[in-house]
Amino acid sequence: MEGASPLEQYLESCSWQDDFSTSPHLSTPMSPYDIELPIQTAEDGVFASQLSQSKELHTDFSSVDLSFLPDVTQDNKEQNLSEDGHGTQKELDGSLASNEDSGVFMDESSLSHPGTAQPSFLECPPMTPTTPPESSGIVPQLQNIVSTVNLACKLDLKNIALHARNAEYNPKRFAAVIMRIREPRTTALIFSSGKIVCTGAKSEDQSRLAARKYARVVQKLGFPARFLDFKIQNMVASCDVRFPIQLEGLVLTHQQFSSYEPELFPGLVYKMVKPRIVLLIFVSGKVVLTGAKNRSEIYEAFENIYPILRSFKKPS
Amino acid sequence: MAARGRCPECGSGSLVEDAHYAQQQLVCAACGCVVSEGLLTTTYTDEEHLREVAYSQSTGQKEQLSRCLQRGIRRVQDLCKVLQLPAVFEETAVSYFQRALQLPAFHLVSLEKKELLGGCCVFVTCRQHNWPLTMGTICSLLYAKQDLFASVYLSLQKELGLSVPALSLADLVTTHLNSFRLFQPSANVPAPFLEDREKLLARTMGLVELASETWLVTGRHPVPVVTAAAFLAWQSLQPGPRLSCPLARFCRLAGVDLPPPAHLRLKELLEILLGMASQLSWLRAFRLDKKTVVKHVGDLLQHRVFLLKNAFSQQDGEEQQDTALGQDPDSPGQGPPSSLVAQEQGCPSAGKRQRGGSLRPLLPPCLLRPRKRLRAAAPSAPASTGDEPISDSEIEQYLRSPEEVQAFRKAKGWL
Repeated sequence: MEGASPLEQYLESCSWQDDFSTSPHLSTPMSPYDIELPIQTAEDGVFASQLSQSKELHTDFSSVDLSFLPDVTQDNKEQNLSEDGHGTQKELDGSLASNEDSGVFMDESSLSHPGTAQPSFLECPPMTPTTPPESSGIVPQLQNIVSTVNLACKLDLKNIALHARNAEYNPKRFAAVIMRIREPRTTALIFSSGKIVCTGAKSEDQSRLAARKYARVVQKLGFPARFLDFKIQNMVASCDVRFPIQLEGLVLTHQQFSSYEPELFPGLVYKMVKPRIVLLIFVSGKVVLTGAKNRSEIYEAFENIYPILRSFKKPS
Repeated sequence: MAARGRCPECGSGSLVEDAHYAQQQLVCAACGCVVSEGLLTTTYTDEEHLREVAYSQSTGQKEQLSRCLQRGIRRVQDLCKVLQLPAVFEETAVSYFQRALQLPAFHLVSLEKKELLGGCCVFVTCRQHNWPLTMGTICSLLYAKQDLFASVYLSLQKELGLSVPALSLADLVTTHLNSFRLFQPSANVPAPFLEDREKLLARTMGLVELASETWLVTGRHPVPVVTAAAFLAWQSLQPGPRLSCPLARFCRLAGVDLPPPAHLRLKELLEILLGMASQLSWLRAFRLDKKTVVKHVGDLLQHRVFLLKNAFSQQDGEEQQDTALGQDPDSPGQGPPSSLVAQEQGCPSAGKRQRGGSLRPLLPPCLLRPRKRLRAAAPSAPASTGDEPISDSEIEQYLRSPEEVQAFRKAKGWL
């Protein structure tokens, strides 16, 4: 057993010993991983709970035979296993697996012990990676928020354009008054039906404040304006990952989500499914996220894309 | 044989079908009145009797394809013939076009867009078979505006759910060089400008690969890169008579359009080559500039892997220290072994963060020359709730005073 590779040692231990305790633990990263991952990314920065879970895992794994792993101390065992989990996670993401052996372990264990894995699952807690892998530490900055509000009264646009200083109205070009206020610096489209579209704010609260100010202006002009159904329709954020990205590689591995046409647009358009966000990824490392209805979707989307971008960091 | 209906004259129900000189007639058996002639007619006889027949009711040759579809298919087939595509491409393109035209998104668009739709189908087919066709070519064939073509292409991709693989640069180089007219002697091409196709192709490929490794291709239009690379390759194969020929003249001689970004790509490529040349031992004696480095392109391409590693700092500051440990034994092993060189190579690959400007990082040009002034992130406003009170004075500043309104009314003549 000394000269054999870790893989061979493991296979021998699997087939010769009737020790089912090893395999289920190794295959735990596989089953709850689809369930665990979204939950983990949704809680931004809640590391405490995960660390406490990892301590539980630590005690559980002390009983497991991990002699096949090369040169691991008790401390590193846990790290190695979390890397295994991370490795399979990366595999399923389509990027290079950090630990190729882990993938093979999964197949072997599932093949040789199909039914027996179940009882042990119920005993051990679901395994989560100890820390979110390579959390980026970069926070996307909100650049633009588009919101709508209903004033619930018909408006006379000519009247508004006449009596308001900050309004422009050109009915031949567009059927709405374009009004601007200085604080917060925003622009609004005011329609004769009484609906307002407010754009340009940098945060949700600023957008709401701006919409209220527009409603107040309309009120002062003599219309019985109310403030109904304020809703944020779109949020745009941008950030910089600070390294250049190989877009050609990204479009090859994530073909079903990405569209990269250098003849049309220099950036790659990545349509993420969960959450439903469109990301524009540029070679300089700048990323624009749009299509979100709230802030958490933006953060979640960025945390999803960051490991993918890291795998395309170095020039091939 | 009793037929239906009654005789209009006598009201009797006994109508008989009779043939009078082979013309069918319905005759009343009682009074002999001819009720109607040729009841069982075809549309042709109807039309002969000057009775209108609706198109939808015609029992004649019912066209299976609408005229618009037929015209579109013919256009697609013509495009394929002009581009000399294999027959398989034509069938695929026609099937895409038929599928697309049924969809509501494309059924009622303008004729111009329908023509572009045909072009898009041909384009998608070529891309899927890795046939290097650029959008520029299709747009010029269709006399189309590129932004309109782009919108039709994107909506086609979305509606039909097609996966279109990326344009392969290697094939594009081959196809683009085929259109250059420098391989056969002709009237306007002087003898020293003629070139062998295979040599030019090989060297251009090398330069294009170098460009893609040094971030000059990602995010940029591919054709100007290929043009610039072809120009450099052509110059380097016989530098003597060709160095004096500028890019514009080269394109005119070759019978190829000069895309505007090609000058910039040429500049960037030369900069990369100059950087690499500074690491090549036998070139250190020369003071190379943009003109003279062209003579040594062959050598630079041959040792490109080694030169790229040493001429440009590849990684960010943090990573350099990790890789420096592994990098030292690598670099002196490759390339021309010279003790002087090894010593000097040892220095750059030692993983120092500050280079003092001698080695520039291997980054896309947009990062090396940031044009935008990086704005400091907007200071986050003190936690606003969005429900703050709004002062009247603030709102009133946005309202016109009555005098202003009067003046404005007079000026504008409204109301």
